[in-house]
Amino acid sequence: MGLRTVSAAEIREQVIGAIGEICCRPTPETADLLRAALNREKDELARDMLQSILLNHQIAAEEALPLCQDTGLLVVFAELGSELLITGGILPEIISAAAASAWQKFYLRDSIAPDPLRGKTLLPPEAKPGSSAARATSGLPFILHLDQVAGNRLTLHLALKGGGAENCGALQMFNPGASLGEIEDFIVRTVVEAGGKPCPPVFVGVGIGGDFESCAILAKRALLLPPHNEPDLQRMERRLLDRINLRGHGVMGCAGSTTALRVSILTRPCHIASLPVAVNIDCHAHRVTSRVI
Amino acid sequence: MKIHRLSLPLDPSGLTELKTGDKILLSGEVHTARDQAHAKFIDLLNNGEPFPFDLSKTALFYCGPAPVPPGRTSGSLGPTTSYRMDRYTIPLLERGLKVMIGKGERSPEVTAAIKEHGALYLVCVGGISALLARCVVSRETLLWPELGAEAVYKLVLQDLPCYVALL
Ligand code: SF4
Repeated sequence: MGLRTVSAAEIREQVIGAIGEICCRPTPETADLLRAALNREKDELARDMLQSILLNHQIAAEEALPLCQDTGLLVVFAELGSELLITGGILPEIISAAAASAWQKFYLRDSIAPDPLRGKTLLPPEAKPGSSAARATSGLPFILHLDQVAGNRLTLHLALKGGGAENCGALQMFNPGASLGEIEDFIVRTVVEAGGKPCPPVFVGVGIGGDFESCAILAKRALLLPPHNEPDLQRMERRLLDRINLRGHGVMGCAGSTTALRVSILTRPCHIASLPVAVNIDCHAHRVTSRVI
Repeated sequence: MKIHRLSLPLDPSGLTELKTGDKILLSGEVHTARDQAHAKFIDLLNNGEPFPFDLSKTALFYCGPAPVPPGRTSGSLGPTTSYRMDRYTIPLLERGLKVMIGKGERSPEVTAAIKEHGALYLVCVGGISALLARCVVSRETLLWPELGAEAVYKLVLQDLPCYVALL
């Protein structure tokens, strides 16, 4: 290895390309999991809904239209090699410019309120949602989690995260004495009680450990990263998936035997007094991809 | 699963044949409205101002459509989560609202009010928005264009696939 340079323009093009890819096509894994769910499904209503989802994949790709009108909030996990030099800009600004271009290029929906309290406080008029100031930030702001790692590459994990699924997440600070059963009950309950709101069948990201905020970040990271190889966690993931699908309300919370398509868990060490557990849900549109630059 | 073709304005006698879980292919004129448009509707009612369209003849589609690419009638569109509109729904039902299209469950109070007013709550599959865009015959921005996706759009639909959730 050794020092490498990469231009801001190259990163920008890669990010624009990644957003274009995920807004209009499902990941190959998502399409496979949904087809498998349809093959298993006996309920007529659930079958009809799953068929519509699969047909939508085809139409969205053919017509270059977004899979969902909620083209989401851009979330990026970036791992920046310590021996990579970016010329012509800093990463947050490069991604921000890429998002702004991608939102225009692919006709994505501006879903970001510049002020979370909107009309609830006295805002300067130029900051009101829908104003020209707000539109100038189209596709922005995005969420960036930036880590420095060894090496001379930049790895980007990107997601377009819809609001309906994001609203159904939860975090609980467990007592370290809590049993695995109590923790699993919380995860299952969070997904089942979300009903049809997060557009099931869903993907479930679980973070266990860390502190309050890193646990939530871990749950989201679990949705974006390729699967791990931890046998104990894999067993827990399968058990949770079975329990969710046994108790869940099915496709769109209406019918059928598939409420979740995959459960992914990541863990990290935590304080001896703590045991945070976070659940982050993604819908079947599941717009995620990775790039190594 | 029974499939019915329904047109707006709804003929109340058609409602008697419907059951929860039936599929509907919905045609006619609907109005989109999300959280902000609903808040404005309630302001209009509270201020005693005239309502901008006849609620009894249309459907409120909980939807913020994506922009329209050149040469198309509509961009991707589909339902948003309905429970966020629950806080505004009962006064609208009292004002004549008969049909709502969204996704997910309603609160117990709104569920009861829908039944009491003989209204109909339909759900669409979320995230099939390229497919649903094909059902749009025409689209115009009716109210509050400054709200972007949260504006009220008047849509004419042909055979929008949805399902009876509450009636
Ligand atoms: S939760 Fe549903 S409506 Fe929201 S982005 Fe996902 S598929 Fe679309």
